[in-house]
Amino acid sequence: MSKVFQIALGILAAIGGFVDIGDLVFNVEAGATLGYQLLWVVVVGVVGIIVYSEMCGRVAAVSKRPVFDAIRERLGFGVGFGALVASQIVNLMTLAAEVGGVALALELLSGLPYRVLIVLGVAVLAVVIWVTPFEWIERIFGYGGLALLVFVVAAIKLHPDWGDVATGFVPHGTSSDKLVYAYFAVGLLGAAMTPYEVYFYSSGVVEEGWTPKDLGLNRTNAIIGYSLGGTLSLALMIGAAALFLPLGVEPQFIGTVALGAQVPLGTIGLLLALVGILFAVGGAAIDTCFSGAYNVAQFFGWEWGKGRRPSGAPRFTLAWMVLLFLALLVIMTGVDPVLVTEYAVIFSVVALPLTYIPILLVANDRAYMGQYVNGRLANALGLFYLVVILIVAVTAIPLMILTHQGQG
Amino acid sequence: MSSARELDVGLGLLDHQLVDCKGRRCGNVDDLEVEGLRDGQPRVTAILVGPPVWKGRGWLGRLAAFIAPGGTVRVPWEEVERIDAAVHLRKTARELRLGRGDDRARRWVEWIPGS
Repeated sequence: MSKVFQIALGILAAIGGFVDIGDLVFNVEAGATLGYQLLWVVVVGVVGIIVYSEMCGRVAAVSKRPVFDAIRERLGFGVGFGALVASQIVNLMTLAAEVGGVALALELLSGLPYRVLIVLGVAVLAVVIWVTPFEWIERIFGYGGLALLVFVVAAIKLHPDWGDVATGFVPHGTSSDKLVYAYFAVGLLGAAMTPYEVYFYSSGVVEEGWTPKDLGLNRTNAIIGYSLGGTLSLALMIGAAALFLPLGVEPQFIGTVALGAQVPLGTIGLLLALVGILFAVGGAAIDTCFSGAYNVAQFFGWEWGKGRRPSGAPRFTLAWMVLLFLALLVIMTGVDPVLVTEYAVIFSVVALPLTYIPILLVANDRAYMGQYVNGRLANALGLFYLVVILIVAVTAIPLMILTHQGQG
Repeated sequence: MSSARELDVGLGLLDHQLVDCKGRRCGNVDDLEVEGLRDGQPRVTAILVGPPVWKGRGWLGRLAAFIAPGGTVRVPWEEVERIDAAVHLRKTARELRLGRGDDRARRWVEWIPGS
């Protein structure tokens, strides 16, 4: 396979893999509640994940350290253990939400009972993880997730006022409830900068043995993959703003998200939307599951790796199995996946600084990074986003309580 | 180590990954045994691994040590071959009694077809 073709495939998978249940929920709710006003926040969030993802990938390729190695080395055992517990709680909540999303999409496609589909969905995910080589998992779910591009067509077909859309890319004062505005801004940043993505990505870089030679590919993946993935987020918000805001619909169900494609495009739109949601959310469930196993294995120094046979990394294998099982239990209680998603995203925002501060420190350490330390641009952006993350981390939970999760 | 390269043991050694002579990951540097602090010539004599060692790593460390089972393993400094991103050891994990948790957990996994 030619290199260009390989890169193209990787990028396609990244687009399909960018959107997870957090993006679906927050982008659609933000569009339905506040119209186009927060489009600029999606751009800020996407640039943020590009900056830190590139940094984590570079640190992993040059110093051979995945994120949780860096966290423990820099924060020490005590604080590092705190970061581990926090990130595992967030990972479990995210995983439970993704599993719920898989079951809801299957329910809408098949009409079978929700709880049966939760068990079936988890069983299929476990079997897929067990038998499928990892590159195929990435491709299957990445390409399946591309069906979400239907939301781009839908957003155009809904004939939004493009002048209004354009003003949404410029931050400006709002006449509506400022706290609700702030809550959704925080949620959108959290959904775009989800920490499990960088745990997963950096571990993959170490596992595949990337070296400084691959730094070009690392940068291309981060920039193109995430910005194209980000356009999907924008399309979801634009579509929701054009369709739901005038009707006063508050999308509290995954089915309502799919309506955004059904109304302008009919049954085929609905089907593509549901298939896209199923694959995007299913793929995210697998990534989240592995992230949790990576974190705990790296923190305690266990053998790890999705490329290894399961018996070659037994505690790592048991870790993802236990996480998947716990997520099944959580979602079987009947708790609403959309609600779990909102909590998962908001709590992940609180845990973000513990992930990104050590990475910024290691990326600046010449002893580890040699000539590949952060340049001025990476540091300026890294510090800017660190400030953003700290503000967002402090305000996230108060905003969630004050606005009753954006209900005003 | 024989070379005189300067190494900050706090940043460059503590909490790093241990890798045995076959490339197997087998724990982290949980703490260090240091001798000669009194005579002003401190030197690292061993790497300490295992939950009981975490007690010396803050209150969250004590909590983690309380939850986790297992004893302390002492790896004499002579067993260290070299240090890069990880600390590479001269012997196998089994010989050094490291990575026993993975050995025990293997039984739970290897009965499944395809493991």
